[in-house]
Amino acid sequence: MAESVRYEGATKRYGKSGPPAVDELTLEVPAGEICVLVGPSGCGKTTAMRLVNRTVELTAGDVLIGGRSVREREPARLRREIGYVIQQVGLFPHRTIAENVAAVPQLLGWEKERARERTAELLELVGLDPELGERYPAQLSGGQQQRVGVARALAADPPVMLMDEPFGAIDPINRERLQNEFLRLQAEIGKTVLFVTHDIDEAIKIGDRIAVMREGGRVEQYATPAELLMAPATEFVEDFVGADRALKRLALMRVSDIDLWEAPLAHVGQATAEVRAKLAAPEVEVPYPLLVDGERRPLGWLSDRDLGEELVPGEPDAPLGPVVELDDVMRDALADLLQGESQYAAVVDGGGRIAGVLSIEIISEFLSSPGAKTDEQSAVERPHD
Amino acid sequence: MTSAMLAAVGEVGEGFIQERTSDTLPCQATDKLFCFDWARENIGRYEEPTIQHLELVVISVLLGFAVAFALALLAHRRTWLRPPLLAGTGILYTIPSVAFFFLLEPFTGRSSETAIIALSVYTLQIIYRNTMVGLANVPASVKDAARGIGQTDRQILWKVELPLATPEIIAGLRIATVSTVALATLATFVNGGGLGEQIFRGGNIDFTTSIIIAGGIAILIALVFDVLLLGLQRLVTPWRRAVAA
Repeated sequence: MAESVRYEGATKRYGKSGPPAVDELTLEVPAGEICVLVGPSGCGKTTAMRLVNRTVELTAGDVLIGGRSVREREPARLRREIGYVIQQVGLFPHRTIAENVAAVPQLLGWEKERARERTAELLELVGLDPELGERYPAQLSGGQQQRVGVARALAADPPVMLMDEPFGAIDPINRERLQNEFLRLQAEIGKTVLFVTHDIDEAIKIGDRIAVMREGGRVEQYATPAELLMAPATEFVEDFVGADRALKRLALMRVSDIDLWEAPLAHVGQATAEVRAKLAAPEVEVPYPLLVDGERRPLGWLSDRDLGEELVPGEPDAPLGPVVELDDVMRDALADLLQGESQYAAVVDGGGRIAGVLSIEIISEFLSSPGAKTDEQSAVERPHD
Repeated sequence: MTSAMLAAVGEVGEGFIQERTSDTLPCQATDKLFCFDWARENIGRYEEPTIQHLELVVISVLLGFAVAFALALLAHRRTWLRPPLLAGTGILYTIPSVAFFFLLEPFTGRSSETAIIALSVYTLQIIYRNTMVGLANVPASVKDAARGIGQTDRQILWKVELPLATPEIIAGLRIATVSTVALATLATFVNGGGLGEQIFRGGNIDFTTSIIIAGGIAILIALVFDVLLLGLQRLVTPWRRAVAA
């Protein structure tokens, strides 16, 4: 269950003549999508998020949830239908984990048994041992506490979730893990999420759509992560997204999204003359043949010395080197290539069968394609140079 | 004030001296600090003052708590009330105790009521201030979360802020109670009863045994109350123990 969130000229001004914190914001978050509000501190992103559950009141304009204005709703009731997660988590220190998770069901007057079952279900959903339910928040680690915070926000199955820098206070390693868990969770529950962060990398990773905001509460660009990286609308967005945005695009792509090279294949016992002929063909881009087994699973690269024999040997001279999967993220694949100090990586499908070859050259061409580069060639990091 | 005080002391003092001279002359004739024989024979005479003393303390602290707590709740949402309330309770706290008893006397007479009013007024400052500190110490993020998940202001106050302020509130109660146990010994100056009767009786200047017994009982009462309140605090704040464990 999810509902769309629509800002219509939403404006927040503190004081009568003060500058607006949020200035005539108009954007729509389709039901079930994650919209990330990103920008430097003081850009009004948190204020904009808070307009949705009326923890900040509108000065002008409107916010509609599922087509219904939040202005018509009684604030406390409205908030019980909107999940709320904040950076400092804000668990109730005097309540057990189970009581914290059941806070909204309790406000809604659920029966005890129903709330108890829901609590156990949620703890499991966010990857916590239901036995932790008896503990108090201070007995949990920061990461565990934020999982409880997410569970509490999800307790009454709200159609909309507000998340204000939820992973901001978590160390980088656990943050990455929590982000991944959250994306997995979102794939399962499909909520409409407004997610606030100042971290553009997090925005690109988490968001289906990203609204880049700047001081004065204005949205500079509202687009998908790929659009934002390929075509920043303004200089501000370009600066904010960063000089390494071409590399960031790699984080958005999978190996299967790119045109791979075809590998010249060789089988054990095959005549090397046959293989050499194959290599000589003009359309072949990989200068070495890849040895595969009967199931087309890669075994290793054949060297010139291997090809000097009569028949293809069972033990190739050169090791296989890096192998990436079609499902791998491009950035990770590049890392594998660099780490393996290799020009080429065999690409395999889910069954381990050869699907093609990825090379530094392919990635380099992709990075220098018009969309990825525009006018900042010098700033783009190109580790393959 | 001084003449009235001496009159009060003299009034209750005469009979006491007579009793003492008839029953216990052998022991007090000697100049000992503590006379065990006398104590053994006369311990019963402390029962009534002890009960009175307990009453004075319990009623005064409860009354003071009710008023101070109500003031704190008022000032919690109305910040403009805070400076006058802090100053007001502070000024009341600085009035010398015996003077306060006699100031009240024209209105409430020589009675335990007079003593109770004065004693509860002295608890206001401590309880009010500790309650305010407790409420101020509730983390902003917890209040933000409470509001964000849809608790009303009243629910936030009673379900979140006050429970979390409990340790400070009870700490205030403990200080107020212990100091009231000591102050209540002065109730005898307005005929308010309590252990003060046994301490300030005429002639006691030379007879320390009674001072030691009555004072000792007062100390014991203070300790018992303190331990009971500490126990109460532990009981109602289990989350604090869980963290320490």
